[in-house]
Formats: sequence, C-alpha cells, structure tokens
Amino acid sequence: MITVYQHLLRLYPAEHRRQFADEMLSVFEDVRSDLNHKGAIAPIAFFIREITGLIHGALREHLRAVFGAHAGVSISTRRFTMRNEFRFPKSTAVLMMIILAGIVLALEKARTIQTSFSDGNPVVPMEAAHLTFFPTLALLLVIFYAAGLVGWAILFALRRSGVHRLAKMSGEPK
Amino acid sequence: MEALPLTEPVLLILLSLAGQPRHGYSILKDVERMSDGRVVLSTGTLYGALRRLLDDDWIERFEEEESSRGRQAYRLTPHGRRNLQLEVDRMKHLTRLASLRVAARER
Repeated sequence: MITVYQHLLRLYPAEHRRQFADEMLSVFEDVRSDLNHKGAIAPIAFFIREITGLIHGALREHLRAVFGAHAGVSISTRRFTMRNEFRFPKSTAVLMMIILAGIVLALEKARTIQTSFSDGNPVVPMEAAHLTFFPTLALLLVIFYAAGLVGWAILFALRRSGVHRLAKMSGEPK
Repeated sequence: MEALPLTEPVLLILLSLAGQPRHGYSILKDVERMSDGRVVLSTGTLYGALRRLLDDDWIERFEEEESSRGRQAYRLTPHGRRNLQLEVDRMKHLTRLASLRVAARER
C-alpha cells in the first residue's frame, strides 16, 4: 500500500513533492496504522479515498503550476476563479462537449454502416467529410461560445444580467 | 487569496488551527471529529488545501520543537485569523437571516 502511495506521489509537480511528500507519506502511514484493527472494509475505503485524493490533488497542482496560483479550479468555490459575481458558465461548456461527443459517435456509426453496405451504395469519402467537418464544427463552437460570452458581458455591463440584483439580497426582512 | 465563501473542508481546517497549531495528522483527525465523521479528508485534499492557504498567507508552517520526528506544524497567521472571523460573521449573518425568513414563513 505504501509503495503504491509513494509511486502516486510522483504524479505531483517536483516542487510540491519537495515541500510535502515526506509529510504526506508520514500522515498516510499514521492513518493507515490507525486502521489496523478496524476490519477489512475500512482500509479498502481509506486506500480508495487516498488514491482518488492523490490523483485529483496532483492534477490540481499541475494546473496551478501551468496557470499560476490563482488560475484553475479554486478549492474554496469549486468553480473557475473569476470575479465572484461573474461565474464561468461551466454547464454550457459541458453541454457543448456532450453534443460534440454525440456528433463524433454518430459519424463513427455512419462510417461503420457505410463500410458494411459499401457494395450497393455510392461511395462517399468519409475521410474528406472528417477533414472539413471537424475544423468547421470547432470553429462554429468557438464562434458561438465567444458570441455568448460577449452577450453575457454586455448584459452584465448594462446591469441587466440579474447578477447585481442577487448581490443586493442581503437585507433582513422588514 | 482564498475567496469567500469557503468550502466546508477548508473552513474545518481553519477552525482546527484556530484553537492551536497542529501537524497534518492532527488536523485530519480534528476535522473528522468536528464534523462527526462526515468530512474525512484524504492526504491529497489536506495538503492541497494547506498549500493554497500557505500561498495565500492564511497559515504558516513551522517545525514542532517538542516532536522527536521534527514534524512540520501549521498555525493561523493574523491575516488568516481575520479572514476566518469574516467568514464566521458572514455565516452568522446568513443563519440569522435564514432563521428570520423561515420563521416569517411559518407564521
């Protein structure tokens, strides 16, 4: 268990490892020794929690190393760090990614069907369609996303987004 | 700087350090105790949070003198204590407001 933990610690950036690796390992050993008499489930749950915690933590530290101390996902808000009243529309980005994945799957399915019926159908060069389709789709996504952001910024600047009204909701009832 | 409101784990870590300086294992156990076992931090989560709090100067690190293992311990800085107090005040205000609103609705 400790060997696996030590290997996973290598996922962290070198600077983080230098500062905290020994301490993390020491705490890990202390907690693990607490679980010696707590049956079989507790150590397994602990180990799973540690592995996921390490992977998540390593990813976050790398993001910090790349984008700086205050970029990336903030632990305090679990959102992209921007101004408090201006939050990144994460759900939109996720939805767009899901739609893109759906389109890719549909294209793959179409290619499979075309291959299986290639004798009786006119030949449609799917590779060519891939070459033009994906850059166009990516460009459209970027354009629509940028347009959405600009629209939101305008509404925000005009104080018509509703966010300012939310910010004022701190008064007690009369 | 850590933006308010804080997440529960970060708030519990700060509360754990509000009473006395602690080392990592002690923070982990105290957080678990304070939350009645609801919040169990992994070492990855704990040291990620400690790292950010150190970078933001909410806490500071020092070597425990009494420990034979030369362990590193953490304590709140004046800046961190001030911000923790701000967060506690914010939560007090919020719970007072929530109580008033809920009571008004029940009448």
